[in-house]
Amino acid sequence: MSISIKETSHSPEQLKTMLYDMMVIRSFEETVEKLFQQGRIHGTMHLCIGQEATAVGACVPLTNEDKITSTHRGHGHSLAKGTKVKGMMAELLGKETGYCKGKGGSMHIADLDVGNLGANGIVAAGLPLATGAALTSKMKNLGYVVVSFFGDGATNEGAFHEAINLASVWDLPVVFFCENNLYGMSGSIKEMTNIANIADRGAAYGIPSETIDGNNVLEVAEATERAVARAREGKGPTLIEAHTYRWRGHSRSDARKYRTRVEEKEWRQMRDPIASFKEQLVAENILMEEEYEALDKKVQAEMDEAVKFAENSKEPSLDTLMNDIFA
Amino acid sequence: MASEVVMPKLGATMEEGTIVSWLVQVGELVEDGDPIAEIQTDKIVMEIEAETTGVLLKTLYDAGTAVKVHEVVAYLGDEGESAEGLGDDLSKSTKAFGEKLEQTVNETTAINEVSVWACDKIRRTPAARKLAEESQLNLYDIAGSGPLGRIQKIDVENYLQQQDTKRITPLAKKIADDQGIDYKQIEGTGSHGKIRKEDLVSTPVTNEKVMVLADKRMPFKGMRKVIADRISASAYTAPHVTLLSEIDMTNCVALRQDLLPIIEKVEGLRISFNEILIKATAFALKQNPNINISLEGQEIVYHSHVNIGMAVAVPDGLVVPVLRNVDQKGLAAITSEAKGIGKQARDGKLSPDDMQGSTFTISNLGMYAIDGFTPIINSPNAAILGIGRIQKKTVVVNDELAIRSMMNLSLSFDHRIIDGAPAAAFLTDLKDVLENPFKLMI
Amino acid sequence: MREVTYLEAIREAMSQEMRKDDNVFIMGEDIGIYGGAFGLTNGMIEEFGPERVRNTPISEAAISGCAVGAAMTGMRPILEIQFSDFIMIAMDNIVNQAAKTRYMYGGKAQVPIVIRLPGGSGAGFAAQHSQSLEAWMTHVPGLKVVQPSNAYDAKGLMKAAIKDNNPVLFYEHKLLYNTKGEVPEEDYEIPLGQADIKKEGSDITIVATAIMVNKALEAAVELEKEGISVEVIDPRTLVPLDTATILESVKKTSRVLVVYEAVKRSGYGAEIVSMIAESDVFDYLDAPIRRLGGLATPIPYNPVLEKAAVPQVDDIVQECKKLMNK
Repeated sequence: MSISIKETSHSPEQLKTMLYDMMVIRSFEETVEKLFQQGRIHGTMHLCIGQEATAVGACVPLTNEDKITSTHRGHGHSLAKGTKVKGMMAELLGKETGYCKGKGGSMHIADLDVGNLGANGIVAAGLPLATGAALTSKMKNLGYVVVSFFGDGATNEGAFHEAINLASVWDLPVVFFCENNLYGMSGSIKEMTNIANIADRGAAYGIPSETIDGNNVLEVAEATERAVARAREGKGPTLIEAHTYRWRGHSRSDARKYRTRVEEKEWRQMRDPIASFKEQLVAENILMEEEYEALDKKVQAEMDEAVKFAENSKEPSLDTLMNDIFA
Repeated sequence: MASEVVMPKLGATMEEGTIVSWLVQVGELVEDGDPIAEIQTDKIVMEIEAETTGVLLKTLYDAGTAVKVHEVVAYLGDEGESAEGLGDDLSKSTKAFGEKLEQTVNETTAINEVSVWACDKIRRTPAARKLAEESQLNLYDIAGSGPLGRIQKIDVENYLQQQDTKRITPLAKKIADDQGIDYKQIEGTGSHGKIRKEDLVSTPVTNEKVMVLADKRMPFKGMRKVIADRISASAYTAPHVTLLSEIDMTNCVALRQDLLPIIEKVEGLRISFNEILIKATAFALKQNPNINISLEGQEIVYHSHVNIGMAVAVPDGLVVPVLRNVDQKGLAAITSEAKGIGKQARDGKLSPDDMQGSTFTISNLGMYAIDGFTPIINSPNAAILGIGRIQKKTVVVNDELAIRSMMNLSLSFDHRIIDGAPAAAFLTDLKDVLENPFKLMI
Repeated sequence: MREVTYLEAIREAMSQEMRKDDNVFIMGEDIGIYGGAFGLTNGMIEEFGPERVRNTPISEAAISGCAVGAAMTGMRPILEIQFSDFIMIAMDNIVNQAAKTRYMYGGKAQVPIVIRLPGGSGAGFAAQHSQSLEAWMTHVPGLKVVQPSNAYDAKGLMKAAIKDNNPVLFYEHKLLYNTKGEVPEEDYEIPLGQADIKKEGSDITIVATAIMVNKALEAAVELEKEGISVEVIDPRTLVPLDTATILESVKKTSRVLVVYEAVKRSGYGAEIVSMIAESDVFDYLDAPIRRLGGLATPIPYNPVLEKAAVPQVDDIVQECKKLMNK
């Protein structure tokens, strides 16, 4: 049930913002990938190129008060939720101006001010945390909703099942958002589960669920809008399974032997979430080619500025090593 | 940045050294090359020298402690630099060096010596050690009452109490110690009951009281142990035979009288009989090369040169520095060298090399009232010459009684490699040259 | 003064804090009408209702994470893990999440949770319900670990734990639940990181934790008859540890015995011993530091065996005599 721009209730400005947000994510990932290859970023990182629509679409219905929990592949979620490029870039370079003062890195970027409860290095760990944040909303009557992002691999963790069950029995305002990119590291979802759709698991916990095209940003946005609305009404959690594909390997050291280049090519050429959305916008005369080029330049300028900011930032001082262990 | 001061390895077989004293206090500045500590190895006392200029930040061992070679004993650094944490990772480095040692040292005997040392450590609690240090007591003097004889604080306290209960003047203490008087039983008449000399005089020394005195016990280690091991090894492995011969030293006495002013003028030193005996022995050894030999493993080594070991008594033992190539040296040079090395020995300043390589040894007790003795061979030498005192005696010369300066020589030899006849021939040749010292000019 | 049990003291502390602060709530398995496995939360659901006394599914992995998420967003949850042994299922949320969140996020978050953990042996619950694994938690930076030994301390420490802005693991000993002590009704707090000298003495310092404090005090009475004067110190919190009080005592007595119920090997007592040995007080030691801890065995079911697996009063007496060469 692919959604076209004609059917959407979103304004042209909102649509252009979605496109822009996706472009920012891709450009960010490509920039940090380059920096990593140049040895200017160390450690590792998990890039979400190809998955921009799930991050952006799922955050469309969220306000600043709403919250997300994210994953190790979390740059897109953070950016979509409003976390700024500069602070993220600085964090990836390990600088004191980074969101975590250089102590968290790629896998732990958090920005509580915009409701970003943080990326997480442990698969499925975000789901129980999301139930807690949702419990606060419910107990304090704060009205916010929590979207918990996780991958297909996380759905085989006990925490996935326990957290959804808990949210279900307590009617917690959570949207469990599964980005099914077909592989948990190297493990194909077909080898690792015996069910057709991950969304089917919602039935086990008595909550509604659906499977959507995760590379169609409008479809993602509208499915999440429905789930968020349910949650706000106190009707409890929803499980969304969004099909998508990560173009790059799992991390920076992945030869991708477990999948074919044909498959990769198909997803990149036929189902690029940004190219297809841009084409629709151009076709509907919402976006001019020149406008797109201007957006592209703007994104690039933003990245250049962020890199400059990060590189000019100070390394955290050694005195900070033992800071913030306890509150 | 603090730099390490390590226990130097002063000889191929040196495994550890005992710190005799620290010559520099913590906090004092030393220049590159300044002595920092005195250390004692097998038989000698040496100095550890600073290899850099700096302030002594920390010493890791107290005087009296045996430390393995290459181990850090102290730290030098900049003035005001913190000594905190220095040496905390010591066990780690010790292990690393230990591994290196095993690769380079293959003498098993050396390793055995290490284990002997390890057993010598006193078992004591930290509190006991601290109190003993503060009270300037030697823990060797204190008996431990804890498990396995561990000295505990209470033992040190009791010891102190025993000492402190009696106040005694230094003079009275000396008299008491010399005469074996147990002054602890005496009531003093001085202020606060302090024992004075007068109090001792009025106290008869009874056997019972003498017996109360505790024996002094010293650990059997260090130089004493090394001497003991070497003497035993020689005495128990080399079958000793000792030949005696009485020498008419009259001509030598005259020779010495004549040479005294000459050599004194050249070297500023007074020649002794010792040097003449060394020279004569070298002369006789050259004539009898089958005496100037060593048994080294499976080989008998016939030495091409004559190196004479000279036994020298030092305060806590005996050392044998070596005079080299004596056969090629004149009496002036020998006098200078023998006196120099003797002084170094008595000052504990010999290096291990100074004591290596003797081919024959002389032990001279002529300065005592000793007529003759049977010396033990200084292995791996094959023989040793014992020298008694020179005394005027009436002897028969040309069928007439005459007063001559007589001296006994004793030659102990290792019968495994020297037979009686060649040994007797050597001693006869030596007697001949001593009685006719002009032959030394040949 | 009024006497209440250890269990009542903890309940009172939680209830008082819940009355004062809406953000404080309790969650756990069977803590509602049932009143918790040990009856500790009896009556609380009646007072505070099911919203603040949250009966959870048997889902340690979820409820522990839920508590962390709630704490990150402004609540102050108290999570009861029914038996401390079940912490294994909650471990990721405690070790990888709660303990690290603040640090990983550059100080921009805090996780004020209290995790209550009934632990210890002696109740015949066998190997999976009787362990003392507090040392595991002390190893993780970012966690505080509390182990009260009596009712008075339990109340004061619980209040401090609730008010602390960090994850606090609150180990309760099952055998202490019904022990009574004088506990004032009013509000008081015992700061985390403050040891208590339970009995003064001059010959040996016993540092004991949890129920071993009580056993050490009993042993001290026996030892007093033999002329051995024992000082008993209860650290009360393992992290942070009040090293000063312990060291001051060791300086005085020169002898140390550390007693804990956990398996002796790698138990927290090893940390206390190391701390003493590394300190300047080393110079005051007049005997090797000794430890008494549990044997390296799972806790057995049979009551005789169960008792033999962990230190008892007589073990402490004997060990002290050895330290005095008696």
